[in-house]
Amino acid sequence: MAVDVTETGAPVAPAEAPATAPAPISPLEHPLEAPRLTPVEVVPGKALYRAVLPGVLQVPADLVIAASRKSSLWPMTFGLACCAIEMIATYMSHYDLDRFGIVPWPSPRQSDVMIVAGTVTKKMAPAVKLLYEQMPNPKWVISMGACATNGGPYTRYDRVVQGVDKLIPVDVYVPGCPPRPEALLDGFLALQEKIMEERAATGR
Amino acid sequence: MTNEDSAPARSLDGTIWPQVDRALSGITASAERAVLDVIVSIPRDEVVRGLKALKADEALAFDYLRCLTCVDNEEEGIDVVYHLYSTKHHHNLTVKAHLAPDDLFVDTATTVWRGANWYEREAAEMFGVRFRGHPDPRTLLMPEDMTDTFPLRKDHPLAEIEVLQGEGIAWGVEE
Amino acid sequence: MTNAVQSDHDFEVQDIMINMGPQHPATHGVFRMVLAVDGEIVRDVIPHIGYMHRGGEKLSETMDFRQGIGFMDRTEYLAQFNAELSYVMAVEALMDIQVPERAQWIRMILCELNRLSSHFMFTGAFGTDSGVFGTAFTYAFRWREEIMDLFEEITGDRLMYAYFRPGGLAWEVTDNFAQRVKYVLDQCRQGIKDVDNLITNNEVFKARTQNVGIISAEDAIDWGTTGPVLRGSGVPFDVRRDEPYLFYDQVDFDVPVGQVGDVYDRWCVRIEEMRQSVRIVEQCMAKLQPGPIMPERMPRMLRTPPGEVYIRTEAPRGEYGIYMVSKGGNRPHRLKIRSACFTNLQALKDMSVGNYVADAVLILGSLDIVLGETDR
Repeated sequence: MAVDVTETGAPVAPAEAPATAPAPISPLEHPLEAPRLTPVEVVPGKALYRAVLPGVLQVPADLVIAASRKSSLWPMTFGLACCAIEMIATYMSHYDLDRFGIVPWPSPRQSDVMIVAGTVTKKMAPAVKLLYEQMPNPKWVISMGACATNGGPYTRYDRVVQGVDKLIPVDVYVPGCPPRPEALLDGFLALQEKIMEERAATGR
Repeated sequence: MTNEDSAPARSLDGTIWPQVDRALSGITASAERAVLDVIVSIPRDEVVRGLKALKADEALAFDYLRCLTCVDNEEEGIDVVYHLYSTKHHHNLTVKAHLAPDDLFVDTATTVWRGANWYEREAAEMFGVRFRGHPDPRTLLMPEDMTDTFPLRKDHPLAEIEVLQGEGIAWGVEE
Repeated sequence: MTNAVQSDHDFEVQDIMINMGPQHPATHGVFRMVLAVDGEIVRDVIPHIGYMHRGGEKLSETMDFRQGIGFMDRTEYLAQFNAELSYVMAVEALMDIQVPERAQWIRMILCELNRLSSHFMFTGAFGTDSGVFGTAFTYAFRWREEIMDLFEEITGDRLMYAYFRPGGLAWEVTDNFAQRVKYVLDQCRQGIKDVDNLITNNEVFKARTQNVGIISAEDAIDWGTTGPVLRGSGVPFDVRRDEPYLFYDQVDFDVPVGQVGDVYDRWCVRIEEMRQSVRIVEQCMAKLQPGPIMPERMPRMLRTPPGEVYIRTEAPRGEYGIYMVSKGGNRPHRLKIRSACFTNLQALKDMSVGNYVADAVLILGSLDIVLGETDR
């Protein structure tokens, strides 16, 4: 929904008011507050091991499966722009990511995570979508940097997609321009936490 | 190489303008001093002939095209600007051709230097200038389906920030 | 596309089109190359760029002269100081500002250290392209991190510095600048030696890169190539030597020039440039004196008089030019970034045709492209 901006930059109210006025809510519940890593409701999967000995086999199986998935995330090397340099620096020996089991892998068919590092332009958008669809499940997406989050410094140009989450679902957003390697590492750790929290959804 | 003049209209003494004038004999060209270079303005229909003459002349030998771009002057039209350099004699020149706003054609400079190829493709899709005779007039930087607008023109607006990414955030943070 | 047989003795042979990119481990960013190959030999190369076209020029025209520095960083994200330098030098030329000496010397030091870090990145990426997958990168980044640590101490950021301002520098350098630079130079000397020993005289590397991707001097000048690509073909054109800016006419350095114009020459030119950069930084440190870093009276709002200027500096990839047209006011009316990689990529077809498919990656790697600069 486009927002009108006056000369001085102050926002102008849209022509039609929303149907219901928003009720006051506490800051912790504001929708723009960073969401918790777990979704509100995790739908458990329907694999065979859930049907066998219900209640007994799921928990350790879920734990083992999720723990092994999070310890061996293989990102697809999808460095687009300047954030790619920081991503490479995170893989290298100074801020080693290999100790977490994270090995960069060029092919989308054998990778788990897609780190969108850099600005996504409208020319590149079909390729991003195609690459995401080529990745097999389970897959996650880390949106690295300001450009992939919402367009970043280039958001006012009309050939730039304002955030990669307009194309593909994103799991973790790492802010920064470019984010420090420690910040990307923090993003990976948050993704690992999310995988563990969502472990009941394994076995789809 | 250049001597700065403190008067507002810098004089052309001591620059390469006399040699340029001689090389461009037969073409009406006017010159002025910019901050570092000499700017020569040539009418649009003779600009490629002038560039060929500048390249072929022995004393000038402008064999290196540094940059080719356009400047949008809104109502007054568009200027096509060529920056030239000579690797033999180490001097520079700027050549400008003025295009009227309703008449944006100019001959291609790829016949003079092959390196003008991509510059002209980019200028064509950014400003809407047509380079006649270009061997490969495809889009370069734009996606193929977005060729009807010209981003670097002054009347092309900036994009608006799309605030929402989900329902229910009707009172989201504004720009 | 397959061979179509028309009759017993008449074969119609078509070239195979191989698409490399835009996502490819060896394309240094989002660059797409369509190769038309006949067996293994490349017949045609059609480069497609524009996947990183973000409108740096248009957005810089809406920013005033101090805000636009951030865009220059992000355009050439491996040689940021050079990009910022061209921009602030353009503003200074238009406004006729005199930059204090100390600021010029520090700018020179930082630009040359940036050249070192960019060439280290090149050795890493090119080593990866030529088959030393991972090893060269790890070595290169170990020393790049040392340089980036120094930059972080001075400017506060690891990658996007935004440290130069029209008139000088944003703030004074750290107190232990001299010791830190000396330490970094020692590390870099060791690093150049290591990379040299690892790769340059390696027999396999030489066999892969010699006589591959040759471009002659006349072709290089005609296409407008610049930087190590032009110097590798034998043309001794270096903006620092031919049109000196900052204080490059007061320091001694050599400009390495290749002979054959192949990929190996471009590698050697860059390694030698790294050694010369170390030499330049040492000389600059010896001449650095205390003093101011900004002129005394700088206006709060920078307004340039109407005019235009084309400033060129020697970035690690070639000539980085800023063409700035100002019609008064506090924003540029037109800002054109003349990027080295954009022009060098035009010559890719001439260099690649006739070589094998496996060499196409090497030739692209030797151009050392940065897509942010190519597409802006």
